[in-house]
Amino acid sequence: MTSPWPLLITLAYVAIAMVIGLRARGGRRMNSLEEWGVAGRSMGPVTLYLLIAAGSVSAYTFMGAPGWAYAKGVPVFYVAVYLAYLALVAWYVGPKVWQFGERFGHVTQASAIADRYQSPLLGALASLVMSIGSIAYAVLQTIGSAYILNVMSGGAIPVWLGVPLVLACIAVYLFVSGQRAIGRTNAFQGVLMLVVAWAVGLWALHGATGGLDVGTLFARLQAEHGEFLTLPGAGGDMSFSFWTTSVIVSMFSFMPPVWTQWMSASSARTIRRSATWLPTYYVVILPMVVVGFIGIFALPDLARTDTVVLEYAMQFLPVWLVGLLGAGTLAASMSSSEPFIHSVALSWSKDVVQPLLGLSEARTGKLARWMILPLMALVIAPLAIAEPGSLVMILLVGLGFATQVLPAFIGMFLWPRASRLGVMAGIVSGFLVTVAFTTVWKHPLGIHAGFWGLMLNLPVFVAVSLATRPAPHEVVERFFRIAAPHGLTRLGGAEKGRAVEASVLGRE
Amino acid sequence: MSRFVVLPTSRAGWGLLIAFVAVIAAGIWPVIGWVNRAVLVLGLPLLVVWSYVVIFACFAVMLIANHVLDRQEGKHD
Repeated sequence: MTSPWPLLITLAYVAIAMVIGLRARGGRRMNSLEEWGVAGRSMGPVTLYLLIAAGSVSAYTFMGAPGWAYAKGVPVFYVAVYLAYLALVAWYVGPKVWQFGERFGHVTQASAIADRYQSPLLGALASLVMSIGSIAYAVLQTIGSAYILNVMSGGAIPVWLGVPLVLACIAVYLFVSGQRAIGRTNAFQGVLMLVVAWAVGLWALHGATGGLDVGTLFARLQAEHGEFLTLPGAGGDMSFSFWTTSVIVSMFSFMPPVWTQWMSASSARTIRRSATWLPTYYVVILPMVVVGFIGIFALPDLARTDTVVLEYAMQFLPVWLVGLLGAGTLAASMSSSEPFIHSVALSWSKDVVQPLLGLSEARTGKLARWMILPLMALVIAPLAIAEPGSLVMILLVGLGFATQVLPAFIGMFLWPRASRLGVMAGIVSGFLVTVAFTTVWKHPLGIHAGFWGLMLNLPVFVAVSLATRPAPHEVVERFFRIAAPHGLTRLGGAEKGRAVEASVLGRE
Repeated sequence: MSRFVVLPTSRAGWGLLIAFVAVIAAGIWPVIGWVNRAVLVLGLPLLVVWSYVVIFACFAVMLIANHVLDRQEGKHD
């Protein structure tokens, strides 16, 4: 590609994102965990909607999802379905998490776990192990960003240079404005992605079919490659059981940045409003996937399926649209990596270093800000440049672990009897199964490894919880006054409501 | 305490729980098997249309749930 416009448009996006991120601070002091970590719990419904939406729509939407459509067909839509289900989870859980944070001062997921189970050790463990998946995710998004810069510059910006460039831009506004920068930049990036996705999708459809009737494209696909229109897809590997268990495992992955985003809301009601509208954002996936389907006919011999949209754009779309696509894809990867980098730095400072060294809240606040620099320079940048082959595997194991933390949340929102040892036993057993079924014996019987993990995890969690001491009454009481404001219900009994709450939380 | 859990405490609450479970069931097996046919609806594969039906059903259920909660909170006030 010889035109300078794609690179100029992409760099213009980076410049705008930096200005927005830097201005997000608005003269506030950023040395406290409340300000830098959760934006002073101030975000309104529109910002929160775009923050969560843009955070969940990564470079996968612009590269991986069209690549799946190109290689497998409709199985790619399991992603859209589980993203909508994550909104249901956010609707139910998010307001309670916000209330926990507001009343008990939590700023991270691990600090809520440590508080509920009265175990800083469990909090630190959750923080460290959750950060494996978070870092792998941030690294993959950074690689995607550097790849986009490389393509848009016609190879002039190599990946080893693109990685520090992108990370430096993020580091500057993340250091200066913290979660407020993520909120504002994600809002901008969310709108940009939506506009770019539909512009590219409609332009490509018009170019491929001579009109905007998507039926022409799919009628041809139905006639020539019908296997792309149903499960298990053209790859033959998305069975009903894998679709179902992938959706279930993904919807119960409580990733730490999302937790922090919920705690950044201005009120519990704000989270409900944002979560309600969240599924509407996932129309962003459809046009990009359509380009993947177009690629089946237009680019039949692609070596790397996840480059289908970029390759199509460079061959068939005008340069200004290629530039917008570069900006949109870069926005998608940056908007997803920022929250993960921020959340890892926040959690390492709050949940690992603070209890270990006995730091004050003020010093921990300062430390969290500075923590992003070594995290980026010593961990994310080297990994992104080296691109280790095991990275995707690390991510899959990390995400598998995220689901295995489910018992900790069941004990927080649904079942007061859950104990610290029950949670630990469930997590460890589920994690071991997930690791084994991700690396050694992959997804036995076509069932997602994380689902196998849960099938062992949950019974172990219940059994060990029943056999060990629960958290102190006063802790259970303050959590469940929020989680169950209308009282608890006795399984198999007639008692319910406030009286039951009093008997459970007050006397037992 | 071992037998106490968080469950809905009103008919409206149970209705919402059933609606949430129903939209989740709509996006997984066996329902997804019933719509797994190589036919086009509105020019799109049936599974794609169904996925977006499920997505917008999630939106609708949460919208209704917000109204129910607002009404309940109004009563408590």
